[in-house]
Amino acid sequence: MAGVRLEHVYKKYPGSETASVTDVNLDIKDKEFLVLVGPSGCGKSTTLRMIAGLEEISEGKLFIGERLVNDVAPKDRDIAMVFQSYALYPHMNVYQNMAFGLKLRKFKKADIDKRVREAAKILDIEHLLDRKPKALSGGQRQRVALGRAIVREPQVFLMDEPLSNLDAKLRGQMRAEISKLAKRLETTVIYVTHDQIEAMTMGDRIVVMKDGFIQQAASPEELYNNPVNMFVAGFIGAPSMNFIKGQLTEQGGAVRFKATGVDVTLTEGRAQVVREKGYIGKEVVLGIRPEDFHDEPVFMEASPNSIVSANVEVAENLGHEKYLYLAGLGSDTVIARVDGRSTIKEAQNVKLAIDMNKIHMFDAATELSVFENK
Amino acid sequence: MSGTQWKEQLEHILGSPLRLKQIKLTEWHKATALSADSPSSPVQSGAVKVASDQWLWFAVQADGNSVEVLELKNGEVTETERNLISWSLLHLRQGKRASASPAHEAERLVEELGNWIQEAIDKGTLQSEVPDHLTAGGRLFAKMIPFLLVSEQSPRKNTYVELEKLLKSFFAEEVMLIPLKEQEWLILGPLSLLNDTENEERSVEDDETEEDLLTSMCSALHGMLATEWIGECHLAVAHPNTPAKSIVETLALLRETVYLGRKFHVSVNIHLPWLLHLERLLNSIPEPQRGRFMEQVLNRSDVLLEPEILMTLETFFSLDCNVSETAKKLYIHRNTLLYRLDKLKQETGLDVRVFRDAVLVKIILLLYKVTKRK
Repeated sequence: MAGVRLEHVYKKYPGSETASVTDVNLDIKDKEFLVLVGPSGCGKSTTLRMIAGLEEISEGKLFIGERLVNDVAPKDRDIAMVFQSYALYPHMNVYQNMAFGLKLRKFKKADIDKRVREAAKILDIEHLLDRKPKALSGGQRQRVALGRAIVREPQVFLMDEPLSNLDAKLRGQMRAEISKLAKRLETTVIYVTHDQIEAMTMGDRIVVMKDGFIQQAASPEELYNNPVNMFVAGFIGAPSMNFIKGQLTEQGGAVRFKATGVDVTLTEGRAQVVREKGYIGKEVVLGIRPEDFHDEPVFMEASPNSIVSANVEVAENLGHEKYLYLAGLGSDTVIARVDGRSTIKEAQNVKLAIDMNKIHMFDAATELSVFENK
Repeated sequence: MSGTQWKEQLEHILGSPLRLKQIKLTEWHKATALSADSPSSPVQSGAVKVASDQWLWFAVQADGNSVEVLELKNGEVTETERNLISWSLLHLRQGKRASASPAHEAERLVEELGNWIQEAIDKGTLQSEVPDHLTAGGRLFAKMIPFLLVSEQSPRKNTYVELEKLLKSFFAEEVMLIPLKEQEWLILGPLSLLNDTENEERSVEDDETEEDLLTSMCSALHGMLATEWIGECHLAVAHPNTPAKSIVETLALLRETVYLGRKFHVSVNIHLPWLLHLERLLNSIPEPQRGRFMEQVLNRSDVLLEPEILMTLETFFSLDCNVSETAKKLYIHRNTLLYRLDKLKQETGLDVRVFRDAVLVKIILLLYKVTKRK
């Protein structure tokens, strides 16, 4: 097993004015499960394909272990890939599909057999070894694609949206299985996904990308609690973080955030930061995660300076929780997540308290976090 | 002629015993100085060396350090007999070369076939049938699956041999590889690939058409070539046919397919002629007319060119205008998608949920891709 290092890596396609990937620097540690996440066209798949050797690197250096591999062919990089489209070999059975890569590398028959059967056992597909891909379900095909990678015992696994062709239930199941598998094999995994749930549940570390740039690389907890900018804050979390544009003022020693329907007081620690950074009197964006709104009376009583009043446009009851779509707080609809047993209904005017210890704040011009990483 | 049978026959003709001897290459070159008419390479044109006044040497074969020679006494043979021995050895070597490497002979044949196809395309005689001597012993009269492979990597040594070996392992059957231009190959795969997957097992999905089977075969072959051989490459496939009768026409179709695929779908590597009918039609419209059309429709609004809208529409069309599936694929709420489509309708007057408008927008998107890079 080995780590992977990208140093100032760029990808620019001929004829294109802008780079698809710009100055990517990443040090992926041995046995780390790293997830690249971001919207379509953000450069995550291109980055993975450069690591795989399927795309040439326009500029920069790529190391697998200590070896510079910019000019090394994909087959000689000691990596194994699992892609969205499984591309199993339709004319070969499952056993042959898994054995093919080893056969090409001139492994002995006995070794091939041992590896294939071991991988099949891990993936619970021993009973399918004689079947052709056509006779398998989507989930089974995905396991075979994983098996084909596992038998190679590569230094690094590269996975590009491997679960996106599966239905939601199977995706959840396979998500857990891949995580378990990575731990069991003690291998380095670089995993690309659109899906922030996959990213948050699987990655030791997540790299959020946008327009070819890395926005933030951090642990799931760090990304969720301390996003460096509005893009990361909005991308991670479902429903997304609410953003309300307003102004900071100071009255009688208290720093208050004011916007349409909102007048709340910052905690002293946060007030101190905005004072020091000169944001008093300036326009900022307040970020509130849906779960940081509270309707419990105890919380409301304890937080008299963070109560807001809004109209419930829609109340979606998911059983264990309720999503409230609120109008009157800033210019856009705000979503609050409250307990499923809450009695709040549609068309009701409600009072909710904001947990001011968990709020986020962003510079209105640069969209960077005012509170920075902690 | 095998072993030393040739020596016995020569001895019989000459009526005199002949002696085979191994000498060092340096000795041979030293003797060259004594014989002005002898070529310096021992294996050239039945080389004769006068080793001394007493001995004559005829080169039989040579390796890096030594030469096997036929040694005769100088006065034992006449000038005619000397020429006869020289001529016999020359033909012996040529015969050995030809029989020792049938692989080279096969490679020469396909090269010749490749040149013939290219000439036919250059002349525009697409209906030409392959001349008998190039049909590889009649193999080209059998129905085969034609693939066109275009690599983007720099050519390497022994590419043909390496690629042919890889393809034979992959198909586990006879396959014909015809080199065309640099980094371009026509692969003729066995028809049994389709029959195998059709007959052996029932699919867990709906019945697959021949085009579905060809698509999955093309996708698998592309995956294998990209990861196990050369990295990025483009692959097109056509319906099975008889190469002896239609190889030129097939190649013309496949080349056009790769050209259209690369032009209209930049990030796609597998190109299928039956999916590019609209692209073929649009490509035939003269450039000024295309430009005028784009100017007219894009003047309505720039909203169609926004990356988010482009991505949304691409996905919407690829999922047959299914709103729920598109929202799922894009990881956005259904209402968000409807909002985007409504915004597009407001700004352009085109509602892609209506068939007539959807066709128009699809055409605009395709033309935009090719006019953008002008």
